[in-house]
Amino acid sequence: MANKSSRRDFVKRSATLIAGTFILPEIIPSSAFGIGRGTAPSDRIVIGSIGVGSQGMSNMSDFLKLKDTVQFVAACDVDKIHLAKAKATVDLANKNTDCRTYDDYREFLEKEKLDAVSIALPDHWHGIIYSSAANKKINVYGEKPICRTIKDGQSIVNSVKMNNIIWQTGSWQRSLANFHRGAELAINGRAGKIKYIEVGLPDGNKGIGTPPVIPVPAELNWEMWLGPALKVPYRGVSHWDWRWILDYSGGQLTDWAGHHIDIANWGAGLEHTGPVEISGAGVYPVEGIFNVPVEYDFLCKYANGIEMRVANASRLPLGMGTTWHGDLGWVHVDRGDIISASDPKILNEVIGENEIHLYKSENHWQNFVDCVHTGKPAIAPVEVAYRAISVALLGEIAMTTGQTIKWDPDKEEIIGNPVASRLLSRPYRQPWTLPTV
Amino acid sequence: MKKQYLLFIVAAGLLTFFSACKNESGYKTLIITGQNNHNWKASSPVLKQILDETGLFSTEITITPDKGGDMKTFDPDFSKYKLVVIDYNGDSWSEKTNKAFVEYVRNGGGVVLYHAADNSFPSWKEYNEMSGLGGWGDRNQKDGPYVYYKNNQLVTDTSAGNGGSHGKRREFLVRTRITDHPITRGLPVAWLHGTDELYSQLRGPAKNMQIIATAFADSAAGGGTMRDEPILMTIGFGKGRIFHTTMGHADEGGGPSMHCAGFITTLQRGAEWAVTGEVTQKVPWDFPSAAGVVFRPDFKEMTLDEAFDNIGNYEIAKSTKYLSCIQSHIRTLAGDEAGMLKIEKMMVKVLKSTQTTVEAKKLLLRELSRIGSDYSVPAIKNLESNAELKDEAEFALSRLSTK
Repeated sequence: MANKSSRRDFVKRSATLIAGTFILPEIIPSSAFGIGRGTAPSDRIVIGSIGVGSQGMSNMSDFLKLKDTVQFVAACDVDKIHLAKAKATVDLANKNTDCRTYDDYREFLEKEKLDAVSIALPDHWHGIIYSSAANKKINVYGEKPICRTIKDGQSIVNSVKMNNIIWQTGSWQRSLANFHRGAELAINGRAGKIKYIEVGLPDGNKGIGTPPVIPVPAELNWEMWLGPALKVPYRGVSHWDWRWILDYSGGQLTDWAGHHIDIANWGAGLEHTGPVEISGAGVYPVEGIFNVPVEYDFLCKYANGIEMRVANASRLPLGMGTTWHGDLGWVHVDRGDIISASDPKILNEVIGENEIHLYKSENHWQNFVDCVHTGKPAIAPVEVAYRAISVALLGEIAMTTGQTIKWDPDKEEIIGNPVASRLLSRPYRQPWTLPTV
Repeated sequence: MKKQYLLFIVAAGLLTFFSACKNESGYKTLIITGQNNHNWKASSPVLKQILDETGLFSTEITITPDKGGDMKTFDPDFSKYKLVVIDYNGDSWSEKTNKAFVEYVRNGGGVVLYHAADNSFPSWKEYNEMSGLGGWGDRNQKDGPYVYYKNNQLVTDTSAGNGGSHGKRREFLVRTRITDHPITRGLPVAWLHGTDELYSQLRGPAKNMQIIATAFADSAAGGGTMRDEPILMTIGFGKGRIFHTTMGHADEGGGPSMHCAGFITTLQRGAEWAVTGEVTQKVPWDFPSAAGVVFRPDFKEMTLDEAFDNIGNYEIAKSTKYLSCIQSHIRTLAGDEAGMLKIEKMMVKVLKSTQTTVEAKKLLLRELSRIGSDYSVPAIKNLESNAELKDEAEFALSRLSTK
């Protein structure tokens, strides 16, 4: 692993500079500070990945397409097979064998001098690793949902803000034309004043029953995969399927909140607040290791009178996607370039110069890279992502407790319900703790 | 001595009185069976058990003459009943009995049509109006359209063809089409049904009929129509209400289709609706979902006490239904403090028992972290020194101390 990359030397020097123990180099590699202060656009940002399973590899491939602006240098995963595939992919793209690999994110963050990191992990790891990366002042492209608990989310938001890094959430629907257009029509009142929003997320799936304990595959560091979660024996469920187990995810609800709830908030001006009251019910499996709700249906009331219903798609008239209902009609958006409205004329409306023009991006990954260069906030910033997943996490608490939850979106606290408030966080297994800024 | 004896007599008398009351107050129900291309000897007692289980019905079974027998002798007095359940597919009844039955329904009598009952009586006009849709028995375009869902749209299809088919028996996903009907209110919109025949290509007059649930007949299982076929229907006939379920193909003892908690519950709810037009029964905690089929070995809903009697034996790879029952009960308590404390005490009792497995204690510690109070703390603290339970005990204590 001889280091012949002058780029890497350059980053290394700048990193030393940050540490304050070195004399000024000729060039200040601004992107390494987090926010760009005049980096030449031709400079490629140095990036690595933590978590190179399915979504991590998908993001990697999107970043590798941006060859002129990105240099991929390292990958980290607790699964050796993932890691080998990641290295092979990066090396192929870079036409060399230089991609470095790590099985421990701490070593990865310590040794690699990165401008940016792309992180795609099971949700129970997000709190610790997003915060740790931010605390290293590395810009983060982080997968949604950004947290498993409200407390994790607060820590991440705080770390990102305090370290002044660029954050992009993997809520890539924001960078697609139909979602942007739908949100812009909604927020500019083309369906009238928004009163009610429906958000349809996927139905749950069939479980796998109650599998027995089996040997951990040789390639997998199960202890590290579990990390802060309670220790359980390996039963054949890790990659991908973690999202059907409550220790690691909230199921389709939390998996998709960062998409369609995020879009709903965008078009309704709710990006920086949260509901004040949440109530609803879920349908939980009777049998099996998978224990996330397979159906869910809850209503959120906002201080400004807007109501948002979040449910699995089969329960809603328009199914998947986001529908903003105003007093004049509705606008609906979904994947597959879908945009529709109560009156087709709405879709031809022009947004005037003095109206609200939402942030425009045509490539979610490019947008992140551009922002790392320019220091401009990315299209899916951290607090916005936190507010989107908060809706789902509060819905989860309402469904789990069977109670109507009162929420203070400014103080970010549940009001008058200490038992339900416990569910805002989840104790970590020793020795793991949330890093402090 | 004498006094005690007297008390015993009074108690026994009261018991008899109350059980008689229950029977008296239940809707008198008649299950008609005796001929069927299906195993009616297996199905009819199960239907009776399922209905009587609710406490709402008092059910009798009447058995018709055998095939080719003298149907004139089959002459029930329908006016005595609030509900008639048809588990019959055989010879025509007498003209008199047919008339009496039509009269019964016209005047507001309730009917449940079960599985192959919709194969029966292809040429009896009123019966086919009551079933809405039927199959086999040379049914074709002359009998009415096919009715089904395709791409989430209700389709009435008058094309020519035979009525009635089913592919291989399999589990299938039932999809609620009308979620605010009394029968389906509060049920999941999708749930897996135990292995059964998926009746398809039914056709009939379809008058005053609502399809409240369908199932997609995929071709992977063989013989699939690639349509969402009607599975649960309601039909109005005169003042009468008919609940039509195509599910429930019986094996000896009932089999997977009749042990399915979804079949049982929809039958119970449909039967009540057929009598009153309303459903007062609560949705049972074990109603299945898309996550998987739920079987009730004894056709009964498990109680919270039964769940606590069994949770202590939990081991990995064993059933999780006892935990699910407890969790479901907690959700319905909606934070009621007295109820939560009662559950907490039950949990702590199992937690303290030396008979309880380590894995069960782990589950209980997780639950106590959510709903516990100061009451649990000493019992949990005791487990902190237990190497196998240390993590879970710390987890619970940490959460319980969250302010």
